[in-house]
Amino acid sequence: MFIIPKEKEVPLGCITPAPVTEQPMMITGNWREYRPVIEQEKCNLCMNCIVYCPDACWQLNEVEDEVVWNAKYCKGCLICVNECTTEALSKAYELDFEDGVVRLEKPF
Amino acid sequence: MAKEMVLSGCAASAQAAKMAKVEVICSYPIRPYTALMMELAKMVANGELDAEFIYGEGEHAQLSVVLGASAAGARVLTGSSGVGVTYAFETYSPIAGGRVPVQMMIADRALDPPGDFGSEHTDAMSCRDQGWLMGWAENPQEAFDNCLINYRVGEDHRVLLPQFVCQDGYFVSHIPGKVLLPDQSQVDEFLPPYTLPHPLDPKHPVSHGPQIRPDQGTIMDLQRAQAHLDAPAVIKEAIADFNRIFGRDYSPFVEEYMTDDAEMAFFIMGAHTMTARHAIKHLRSKGVKIGLVKLRFLRPWPTQEVAEALSKFKAVGVVETSTSYGGAMRGGNLLHEVRASLYDLPQRPLTTSFMAGLGGEMVPLKDFYYMAEILSKMIKEGKTKKTVHWVGFEAEA
Repeated sequence: MFIIPKEKEVPLGCITPAPVTEQPMMITGNWREYRPVIEQEKCNLCMNCIVYCPDACWQLNEVEDEVVWNAKYCKGCLICVNECTTEALSKAYELDFEDGVVRLEKPF
Repeated sequence: MAKEMVLSGCAASAQAAKMAKVEVICSYPIRPYTALMMELAKMVANGELDAEFIYGEGEHAQLSVVLGASAAGARVLTGSSGVGVTYAFETYSPIAGGRVPVQMMIADRALDPPGDFGSEHTDAMSCRDQGWLMGWAENPQEAFDNCLINYRVGEDHRVLLPQFVCQDGYFVSHIPGKVLLPDQSQVDEFLPPYTLPHPLDPKHPVSHGPQIRPDQGTIMDLQRAQAHLDAPAVIKEAIADFNRIFGRDYSPFVEEYMTDDAEMAFFIMGAHTMTARHAIKHLRSKGVKIGLVKLRFLRPWPTQEVAEALSKFKAVGVVETSTSYGGAMRGGNLLHEVRASLYDLPQRPLTTSFMAGLGGEMVPLKDFYYMAEILSKMIKEGKTKKTVHWVGFEAEA
């Protein structure tokens, strides 16, 4: 028998309940080198960022009528910046932000 | 009613899969295993078997298809041979790590050195460390039985591991032998319907095979290692049930033949065991005290059972039908594990290995006589001079 500390437990085969909104077992936000930044006044809600994001990190806030970015999971691939039709999205260096990811503190 | 038929190993495996009510099959042709898919395709076409029959565009696709189907809760079967087995290599670890119990029938074929189609265990042996259950059939009857036994063990919730169910190409896969086909009711008693603890189900969504963090990797390796520690007890249960329901006399891990007063023994698995039995009969009539120990499960390796079985001999000759180039013994794979199993014994037999049956060559009686001679010489001299003998190519015995 082996002892696996409680905080290190992984479900059998890593089969996890499908995330309804977020997957707490796999936070990927700290992979980022650049992050997308939105200028809301330029956005025409074409939804390209929502469609193209491989990790569903852009979502529509229907109350405010604007797209919202998820910093916890965005890996910084910048596909959204590329696909933005109105240049509302641009890239910015992660460490220029106060809450920027310090990549080497915990590499993964 | 149970009935006796004469079937090749491939046909026997197909019959077993049919009686196991396999639900999704994925094929891609490569000989010699293809005959399995030809049989199953016929069964599906004739309406004898209600299964999805999917044509993969290669072996990697085959394994990916059955992974998905098995994860969704279907009992599945795929298979391959030789370079087909290695083409799908990437998929083996995630299937075992994801704990999805797919079954793959491997009818061995030599890997290309280049372009050989004969039988050799190296194809399947190359995949032995990925976490799959694994074992060889000696004849079509065992090919039939092992299919059912592996479904039962692999799908058990205490195990949940995929299974390589291996048979020697041609020697088993294509040479017909007597197969006792049981009643469907016997199979149903032995093999419960397949269930997965967390199947893919739109009503209860789960993630299979997610990206994990490195610190979760060790835990998942540990889970797989634990499954192999837990499997032997489940194998014992399954074999006991199998013997009771089908009237067989299998031992779970190693089978012994004429070992009671034997001084030396062959350690062997697969098709050539049959020839070895006949060689032993002839040698016995000349007064040579020899027997054999046959391995039924390579994974999980039955360390204790191998040690117990082999400890009573003075010399053991491991018959290798696979290559481990540059390995510690300079020969095949089995001697490594045999020696490791014996290492902690206070009294160990002398051990050596014989490279035989490579590239699809037969291992005729005279080769076994030669091996017996070497073993006798080792006993007389009290030492192992060489750890590997390439049978038929040695300058001196």
